[in-house]
Amino acid sequence: MWIRFRKILLLVSITLVYVVADDFKEEIFIKPLPPTNLYVYFQFITQNEETSFEHSHLAPRSLGEIMSRYQVDELHLTLTEGQWRHNKWGYPILDASSGAELYAWFSPSVTDVDTHWRKLSATLSGLFCASLNFIDNFNTVTPQMAMWPMGAIKVNKNVTSQLRYATLPREIVCTENLTPWKKLLPCESSHGFAALLNSRMIHNTNYHSIGVHVRKICKVEDCSEINLEIKQTVALVYDLKIINSLDWSFRKLFGQGLPGPCPLSSSSKIYVDVSSNDTFPFKLNPLPDSVVLSQRGGSDTTLAIYNIIPTNHMINIGAEYGTKDKVLVTIPPPLTFNRYVLGYGKEFGGIVTEIKNNYWAPIDIVLLENAPWWLPIQLSSLRINGEAQSKLVKSLYYSPGRSRQKPYHLELLMRLPSKSTTTITIDFEFVFLKWQEYPPDANHGFYIGSALISANLPTARNYTSLPVTGSTMDSIINASKPWYPAIFRTNGAMVSLPTPDFSMPYNVICLACTVVALAFGPLHNICTKELVLKAVGSPISLRQKIMNLFKKKQD
Amino acid sequence: MGLMLKYVIAGLARYWLIHMDYWQIIANRVEIATPLNSWKRLIEGVYLYDNNINPYEGDSFHESPLMLIFFHFFMKKFPYILPLLFTIFDLITAHLLYKTSKSFATLFKNAQDKMKDEVNEDSKTMLLSNSRLDEAPDYVLSVYLFNPYSVLNCAGMTTTVIQNLLVAASLWSATSGHRILACAFIALATHQALYPVLLIVPIAILLADINKGCNKCSYIRTLLVFVLCWGFLIFISAFIMDGSYKYVYNTYGFILSVPDLKPNIGLFWYFFTEMFEHFRLLFVCAFQINALALYIVPLTLRFKREPVLLATVLIALSAIFRSYPCVGDVGFYLALLPMWKHLFTFMQQKFIVACAFIITSALGPTVWHLWIYSGSANANFFFGVTLSFATAQIFLITDLLFAYIKREFTLKNGTSRQIDGKPAKLVLR
Repeated sequence: MWIRFRKILLLVSITLVYVVADDFKEEIFIKPLPPTNLYVYFQFITQNEETSFEHSHLAPRSLGEIMSRYQVDELHLTLTEGQWRHNKWGYPILDASSGAELYAWFSPSVTDVDTHWRKLSATLSGLFCASLNFIDNFNTVTPQMAMWPMGAIKVNKNVTSQLRYATLPREIVCTENLTPWKKLLPCESSHGFAALLNSRMIHNTNYHSIGVHVRKICKVEDCSEINLEIKQTVALVYDLKIINSLDWSFRKLFGQGLPGPCPLSSSSKIYVDVSSNDTFPFKLNPLPDSVVLSQRGGSDTTLAIYNIIPTNHMINIGAEYGTKDKVLVTIPPPLTFNRYVLGYGKEFGGIVTEIKNNYWAPIDIVLLENAPWWLPIQLSSLRINGEAQSKLVKSLYYSPGRSRQKPYHLELLMRLPSKSTTTITIDFEFVFLKWQEYPPDANHGFYIGSALISANLPTARNYTSLPVTGSTMDSIINASKPWYPAIFRTNGAMVSLPTPDFSMPYNVICLACTVVALAFGPLHNICTKELVLKAVGSPISLRQKIMNLFKKKQD
Repeated sequence: MGLMLKYVIAGLARYWLIHMDYWQIIANRVEIATPLNSWKRLIEGVYLYDNNINPYEGDSFHESPLMLIFFHFFMKKFPYILPLLFTIFDLITAHLLYKTSKSFATLFKNAQDKMKDEVNEDSKTMLLSNSRLDEAPDYVLSVYLFNPYSVLNCAGMTTTVIQNLLVAASLWSATSGHRILACAFIALATHQALYPVLLIVPIAILLADINKGCNKCSYIRTLLVFVLCWGFLIFISAFIMDGSYKYVYNTYGFILSVPDLKPNIGLFWYFFTEMFEHFRLLFVCAFQINALALYIVPLTLRFKREPVLLATVLIALSAIFRSYPCVGDVGFYLALLPMWKHLFTFMQQKFIVACAFIITSALGPTVWHLWIYSGSANANFFFGVTLSFATAQIFLITDLLFAYIKREFTLKNGTSRQIDGKPAKLVLR
């Protein structure tokens, strides 16, 4: 009797801890983007008490084990297809470079960061069925200024040395990545918002990005206790122009309605940005539960909020536009950028990064150029607005690359003057690879990853990211700050490296060796033999020669 | 007077080419600039060094630390003087070659006088008169000054200019009997490009011949001085790089392991582009042995009486077979050939070789443009051209050696090619 009571007591106490520790929330944020696009952003937040990861019932154990095994403090993985157009669409909640992007901070107790990093990427590669196992020292950099942790870290710790960053710009994202990603969710894809993530529909979008972000957040005010937050995100941009109607609904976007919230979630909310309703009116159907005005950093945002509660019918939220002949006007964001490759031929070229500051005050940015080893950049050719020594550069970090071992890594801390365009040019030389180093379809070209631009924006215009301390969408409401940190990825680029003839390794080996033998033979003769006179027979007449020729033919 | 005019014209031509608008194109040509010697890489290295970044950490700089601080000094203090400096260096090289061939003429005269008795009666006319011998230095000078290969090499401001200067200086010091100078210069050249290490053998023989006395002692002394100089340079370079020997990987390591496969006029680039990874090490070793060690012993044994010929042939062979050759190397050994003007009559492939040089020099840039810029040719075209260029050079060198042994045979046995009145021909046995 006593034993059973004790068991019950134990059970109750454990359950109590769980209720406090684990928490799952799901949210959707929808925003019409100029001119005719629609941004749909899903986020699934699982919070877990870090110490009891092994006993969690909501947080994915597979991910938790990776985190604890490789002593990862913070992890960001995104798999993206398409290009976010910052100058048209404004800024996304979380920016991602196209292809695969992975960065992580390891615990300060890790000394051999590179080994842990390689193991981490290999394990994640298995977990998400992505080619992350191709991440190695030759495509990994340690950003010195451009990145900072999003989670709680101990102050006065050098976290930069524990950071590793890598991108695989050629990675193609598809269903095989989405399915394991969905399996990490408590309700998987059977219930809740994840049921909308139908790969048939979402891989048809202009831009889609799935991500996993793990960080530490403070549980209490003084940060004496720490929780682990696992945030899974999906960002989609639909182009409504191609269906010839700006009206949207869940049925149109995802092929089905919303079956209801995930039963395990503590909150399931949908936010629709209806700020554009004033200039370009549309009607939401069904009507939102509440409408909130958020004033943040000089820009007003009106959010319509739906609180999804369990129902026995499909929920189909949609918008209907009254007039069809209008288009949304782009309000240029404070900072826009562009990147392209210069030059012709396959011998010398240059990479140009153009950064435009549209704001009336100077903006400080860090630009990280990360050139793969097969694109050797020359620091001596760095020009900012055509000048070798520019006053705009406040600090510079350069780590030269080494072939097949280390990428070229350049970081510039710059102050962009107000209302200006800054052009950063750096020259590179094309590298001739070994024939087995070319990927299949070598003439397709080689992808250069995005440059990173991290900035502290003075205004929240076009800014939708959550504040560092927040994890849910409601944290952006009235979240005015002196500045708004953001890390952007420029567009990538492609170069076409010169190729050898892949079909003739044997011929080349034979021909080159023949030439060597051409030298060896006579030199061997000269050194080992001596000249002598040898009698020759009487000279043959021309007629005889011709006769001999015919004789041979007859044989 | 005529001599002075030659220097002035050649100097002006070089200086003008460096200041021409097309200078960048010359300096970037694959035939002229290799990853090892290009001006662009030198600038990058100096820039990194100036910004307190170790240039040997990355893959962009392959010169020795001595060159690094030398050019760092000039680029910081007198950047405008550099074109002039390169021109003057090249003119000094030409002058040193002139001096070398002059002393060689004297050496040749003495040797000829000594062996006069062994010469066959009807070959006496083949002995060189003083006037013929005195012509050679003028030819050497003219060839070095006006050969397009050496002119373009200087105009491209490659560090091969310095290497040529060092090799020429060591040859001159050896022919005039300055042991320490010769060893110091050859150590400097070796420190820069490794392949001149071969020249220590002919130089040791030359010094032993000139400074009469115990031959073996002279060899050992030369070798000792060279090793000491070279070791000192390696140490001094490490001292410049704050005691780190990591630069060795970027200089000697780079030359030996051939990691950069950018096309040049040599044989390595396409061979190792197309090489199977499994056999890479084997063939790198085979090719480097071919360039560094294979011919030195047999050629030394065969031509130990002609150290200058040995030096010429070794310079030429290392220019053909080194991992990153450029036209500057070719121009340098071509300038040495007029010293052997008296052998030209015995050479059989002069015409073929001359045609091949002209054709490949014209075709190389053409097919390079077709491959890299218009995309209408592929790598095989340029490979074919480099292959035939190498073949032409090999024919030239082997022909020269054959000519030498034929002349040697003729001097000894007379000009007649008959055995007992019946026609006969020269064959190797």
